Amino acid sequence: MGISEFFSTVLTEFPLAFYGSILVGISCAFLGVTVVAKRVVFLGAVLTQVSVLGLAVTFLPYAHIPHTLGSLVFTLGSVMVLSRMLTGKKIPRDAVLGVVFASSVAARILIMQKTPKVETAEIENLLRGDILFVTPELFYLMLGAFIVTMGVYLVFFKEFSYIAFDAETATTQGYKAARWELVFYIMAGVVISFATHMVGDLYVFGFLVLPAVTAMLLVKRVRSIFLVAVLIGAIAPVIGLFLAFQFDFSSSPAIVGVAFVTLGVAWLQQVLRRSQ
Amino acid sequence: MKTPLIDFEAATLGYGRKSVLRNLNFRVYVGDYLGLVGPNGAGKTTIVRTILGTLTPLAGTVRIQAGDGGSVCFGYVPQRDTIDYVLPYTAREVVMMGRYRRIGLLRRPREADWSIVEESLKHVEAEEFAGLPFKDLSGGQKQRVLIARALAAEPDVLILDEPTNGMDLSSRLSILALIGYLHDKQHLTIIMVSHLLDDVANHVKRLAIVQEGYFLVGNVQEVLTGATLSALYEMPVEVTQLKGKTIILAGEHRGNL
Repeated sequence: MGISEFFSTVLTEFPLAFYGSILVGISCAFLGVTVVAKRVVFLGAVLTQVSVLGLAVTFLPYAHIPHTLGSLVFTLGSVMVLSRMLTGKKIPRDAVLGVVFASSVAARILIMQKTPKVETAEIENLLRGDILFVTPELFYLMLGAFIVTMGVYLVFFKEFSYIAFDAETATTQGYKAARWELVFYIMAGVVISFATHMVGDLYVFGFLVLPAVTAMLLVKRVRSIFLVAVLIGAIAPVIGLFLAFQFDFSSSPAIVGVAFVTLGVAWLQQVLRRSQ
Repeated sequence: MKTPLIDFEAATLGYGRKSVLRNLNFRVYVGDYLGLVGPNGAGKTTIVRTILGTLTPLAGTVRIQAGDGGSVCFGYVPQRDTIDYVLPYTAREVVMMGRYRRIGLLRRPREADWSIVEESLKHVEAEEFAGLPFKDLSGGQKQRVLIARALAAEPDVLILDEPTNGMDLSSRLSILALIGYLHDKQHLTIIMVSHLLDDVANHVKRLAIVQEGYFLVGNVQEVLTGATLSALYEMPVEVTQLKGKTIILAGEHRGNL
């Protein structure tokens, strides 16, 4: 399949998949810069699993909740609890996240074992997040989350930056650092919840990490890091989708694979630069 | 009569149910250069957090008020290892963070703010490396940038938490000289926290010794005596003068380990 044929097919048959994958890529890449900077990468992994658990719960016989809402409720609930627990001093942060991660995965598996077999395949599709069959409703929810998150973050960029860099000093200047961090985690939780429903946990977690780390290797200014991460978030999904169509791969792993190769190239470039 | 900027009156400080310091009475006046010294865990940081408003006293009162009745603006210089520098903010960008509160929400830095940033960098002699990533600077350079950030807030009081930690002799003396300059020439009120008696003995004007269950404040000459320090550290300590400098000589520990 040539490139023009690919674009013609995708934009005709799967326009929401095309634009949705770019939307998720950009959103996660943008948030990922702060996630990596705050050293809460594992939180991204945890929230994607919690989101997936929320989806699975909506398939229980007595749970009459829309899938998207179930995922969102679970994710935001975890954000509220984790934002308190992560500042505690008795249990290391990683341990708290590990407990939630393991528990979420275990609970999801147990739930799936109790749902009727006919729905298991549907659940697995949802959990994997097949971007090709994203619904208009989910796409527009994701678009709304993207606009609000980017808007809020860019308007209050200096506040979010200061608190991520030095929350203690920011607090002495009157900033309620804990509240600002909670706002960030809520925005991240909403994006992760919708994105996981759209494209699956692998894609979301991959794009919370890979574009940001690649950008940090390539450029040396903070605003440039955000810009490059977002560019990778926009371009990698297009290339990944093309390769998925071309070689009959699953779309999410192909897209994450492209992002990983980009990271590899960036790392190699830095190694070569250092050796000169 | 001097009006106190900071007034601790029968204050008990601590966390939750645990009190760290009881019945604290002391004042900080405009133009003071106060050293807060004591061993780790004595309560120095607790006092600083109370002054900065991030900790509420368990009992008593802590009044913080400018001479004209207005609020007091603090410039805080934290310990360097409390800062997380994954992202490569330049030294200049870090100093600008000190202006954010004055700039306010929904506003961007203006030319006047950048001028104040450059002025702050100049005061600490950090113009040369202002464009470099903060995380790539040496310990002494980072400390200068953090002091510049505190100055950019146009503070009434500068509070420095262990500013010479982890530095070699030359860097320590350089930072202490800078702090002295800010006090003498810029007329800043300064509170410096340190567990290094040698650092404060020859630089501050007033000294507060903080120990568990013990607090003593006064002029350096009044507080820094062999008798006081020997009782405090449970070892023979002698304070003497050599070429105009105060020297502290410690003997063997005699307390229970």
